[in-house]
Amino acid sequence: MSVSGKQPFGWQGQALHVNLSTGTIHSQPIPGEWLSNYLGGRGLGVRMMRDYYRLDPFDPDMPLIFAVGPLCGTAAPTAARLAVVSRSPLTNTIYDCSAGGRFAYRLKQAGYDALVVTGTSSRPVALNITADGARLDDATLLWGEPVSATVRAFANASSVAAIGPAGENGVLYASIMMSEGNAVGRGGLGAVMGHKKLKAITVKGDRKTRVADPDRLRLAQQDIMRLFRASPVIFGELGIAEYGTPALVDLMAQRRMAPTDNFRKTLFANSSNYSGPAIRKHFAARKDGCYACPIQCKKSTPQGEHLPEYETVSHFGALNRIDDLHTIVKANTLCNEMGLDTITAAATLAAWGEIRGEFPTATELGELLAAIAHRNGDGDLLALGSRRMAQQLGHPEVAMAVKSLELPAYDPRGAYGMALAYCTSNRGGCHLRAYPISHEILRKPVATDRFSFAGKARIIKIAEDSNAVIDSLVACKFSFFGASLEEYAEALSAVTGHDYSPQELKRIGERIYLTERFYNIENGFADTDDILPERFFTEEGSSGDGISINPIDRTRFLEERRKYYRIRGLDDHGRFTDSDFLGQQP
Amino acid sequence: MIRQAQKFLDKLELDRTGRPGRSALLANDDRIVGTGADDLCQLGHELLERLNVVAVALVEPALPFADFLIRKAGRAESCLVPRDTETRTFLHDIPFVRHQELATQPADQLARLLGNRKGILVEGLGIIATGAVTPEQAYINVSSIFHSVFVKYLLDILGEKSLSAEEQLALADFQKNWLKPLASDIAFAPAGTLDERAHILDEICRIGRETVRLGLVDSFFGNISLRHQETIYISQTAASLDELEGCIDPVPIDNSSTCGITASSELLAHQKVYAQTGARTLLHGHPKFAVIMSMICETAECPITDCWKDCPHVRQVGTIPIVAGEVGAGGLAERIAPVIGEPGAVMVFGHGVFAIGRDGFRDALAAMIATEEWCRNEYFRRLEANG
Repeated sequence: MSVSGKQPFGWQGQALHVNLSTGTIHSQPIPGEWLSNYLGGRGLGVRMMRDYYRLDPFDPDMPLIFAVGPLCGTAAPTAARLAVVSRSPLTNTIYDCSAGGRFAYRLKQAGYDALVVTGTSSRPVALNITADGARLDDATLLWGEPVSATVRAFANASSVAAIGPAGENGVLYASIMMSEGNAVGRGGLGAVMGHKKLKAITVKGDRKTRVADPDRLRLAQQDIMRLFRASPVIFGELGIAEYGTPALVDLMAQRRMAPTDNFRKTLFANSSNYSGPAIRKHFAARKDGCYACPIQCKKSTPQGEHLPEYETVSHFGALNRIDDLHTIVKANTLCNEMGLDTITAAATLAAWGEIRGEFPTATELGELLAAIAHRNGDGDLLALGSRRMAQQLGHPEVAMAVKSLELPAYDPRGAYGMALAYCTSNRGGCHLRAYPISHEILRKPVATDRFSFAGKARIIKIAEDSNAVIDSLVACKFSFFGASLEEYAEALSAVTGHDYSPQELKRIGERIYLTERFYNIENGFADTDDILPERFFTEEGSSGDGISINPIDRTRFLEERRKYYRIRGLDDHGRFTDSDFLGQQP
Repeated sequence: MIRQAQKFLDKLELDRTGRPGRSALLANDDRIVGTGADDLCQLGHELLERLNVVAVALVEPALPFADFLIRKAGRAESCLVPRDTETRTFLHDIPFVRHQELATQPADQLARLLGNRKGILVEGLGIIATGAVTPEQAYINVSSIFHSVFVKYLLDILGEKSLSAEEQLALADFQKNWLKPLASDIAFAPAGTLDERAHILDEICRIGRETVRLGLVDSFFGNISLRHQETIYISQTAASLDELEGCIDPVPIDNSSTCGITASSELLAHQKVYAQTGARTLLHGHPKFAVIMSMICETAECPITDCWKDCPHVRQVGTIPIVAGEVGAGGLAERIAPVIGEPGAVMVFGHGVFAIGRDGFRDALAAMIATEEWCRNEYFRRLEANG
């Protein structure tokens, strides 16, 4: 593909490069080979990191990349998203985090597929991007302000990405917040932004995304929407369009895999206090969501306060034994204001609670979160995340994390594919890389036995490849509770004018996954990092109602992990047999 | 993996989708394993080596309808586009390869096609379908294609003036040997006994198995529920109706719990039917002749083009109403609830039959069987009338 001359279909073909150390800003064409072979979003960001992945996350030269996808700005459903890519200060792995809202769409409208920020400013700045150019403005007066006040300061912008005090103060799990309430939540990329002294980015634009075959896209869009409507998880009476992701609270309790008491138990008797129906009832929850998304799975109050997602209610709830919904909602709002990842914040507090023998009470929760964001008192230690905190307190065993990323609200003893996927994920203990909950719990596209490892190695590998593509399009993972790469390949082909098959897309996904793993291995990661905390192999969960939540059989886990390595073409220790892997990639 | 492959291979023969001894199902774990006919296993092995999927099924169908359709297709055509719900929703279209176009070493050629779609047709060979996650998925995709081809062929020939001798012979054989009587002698739970959870679950499982045995559903498609007091017990999404043990969700009618997020995609239809009719049970299947008859519309000069979803009329076949509407939140639920009460059954355009029972499942199953039987007889009456 050539990007010289006319703007290509699907992509804008340009990246905006901003060096905060020098204050220089310039636009540069993105090689067409990168776009066609890495698509956008996560894939493009990972490719752009090739010359930088060895740098420390806080090295001034470390890029912070915001990348959109070829479907953004078109009628392809759920595609107005972006990936933020860098190296995580929390996990030290290559890291990407996907977010919705309007920022991605506006960045594309401003004429860019990617924004690459390097350098460190000497004073707080805001980057303002329009279709006519970009400039850096002083943001000293905004330094220290919470996210909502920062967003209000840019009333003329179409969308804002900002950090709160947590990012400014280097909390290792600081998030980047979008003005619409969406978070680049996990992995501490807000701390990378804060270290660069970049308080906010605003975007505004009006450029269109060119579509090669609008009629073909319309048909693909209809096929996708038909599958959304046929999906009980998406548009069902009890699905996420109605209740948001807290629709999972009741289900995880019924399946006895809701992490409780810092993963010592898997059932919290009062979880119905913060279920989807409870949130709807107590907060008159209304639909909200990303730009032009038909699902609108985010929920907010009539006053516009954003209501928490499943992971947040469950981890501030069961994991910390807090059953008061209003406390949980306040904690969520505070995290959004301070720019903190809710999952890691709640999980770190739960691990700390286990060490001190008392989980945070509802009354002290708010103070603790503020202390973390400002790194005051206990907050300074808690700001390091559960692994570093637990290690410093002499109890490394209570950190429920893989590669330092705290596990989300699906107990691995209740879904063995999830157990394996937490470990093979390149960014640490994340549920979204392979998303086996889809088939192990939600029965999509078909059900698998959640208490069996049989076949899971290949299933996880294929799902990781597919999800790497989804993160590069960039589409929403929830779309794939209904649609598949078959329909999105058709949409991509219609938009770009280049015929992509689902199999070809999976090859791209495989390339992205392996590139990430290669970076990690080169940076010292090994199979010893692809492992769950000891608790899951030795302690049982909360069995009952005919469901046994047993410790995971370590031998069987390791056998399936070895299978996974073989399927990936790695050696028995998960290493590359070819040291020139990157040299062979486009 | 091999056990799963064998299980679904057996099902393909048991439900008479595949010709006995002429199927194979292979799965790829860290190595490829498979079972079935040797020549098909070898091709399946070559395909799995080329595809990023877990399973592949190769099935010579028990009926030759796919080959007939391929031969009738125009020279420029390379896929079938049946208009039933399963194709429209899940398959989109079914690519095919003519016998003369098949390469001597066809693995690359077939893998390319399978890289785009869940399944394909190969003239003289049959159905090849993949499973991205499990062997069961490959089985489901084969079953869906078999269903769609069945419906399309029989629907198409109603509009044809004459059939070849080969087709006539095949149809006679199909009527005499493939089609089975729709008789059920299952014992239903006596009226008034279905008030305990264990009995309710057991009855749903038994009726589910009978529905599959009678061929009233394909693969897992279809759903079944029973209302008891303030709870609807309903089969889960993607659950095989003949294996419902552990796959039934209790859903409170006031939606006070979201445990039923895994319930059938037709939960809304079940909820609306119970709310509007006072029925106790609901059975939904995809009996093939009912699907065919539901797609025949004799309205002249109708301006509606996407009739499966846009037709606002309640049509009638015999005593059974037919409505339009798509799966799940696609409008079907709103349209069946107002019309199902009196006749006890309703057909949905290109989709299947919903039938209700006032007490247990006796009425519901009887209504579904009667609907399919009527449609089957009416179909052959029309075919004969065509000459």
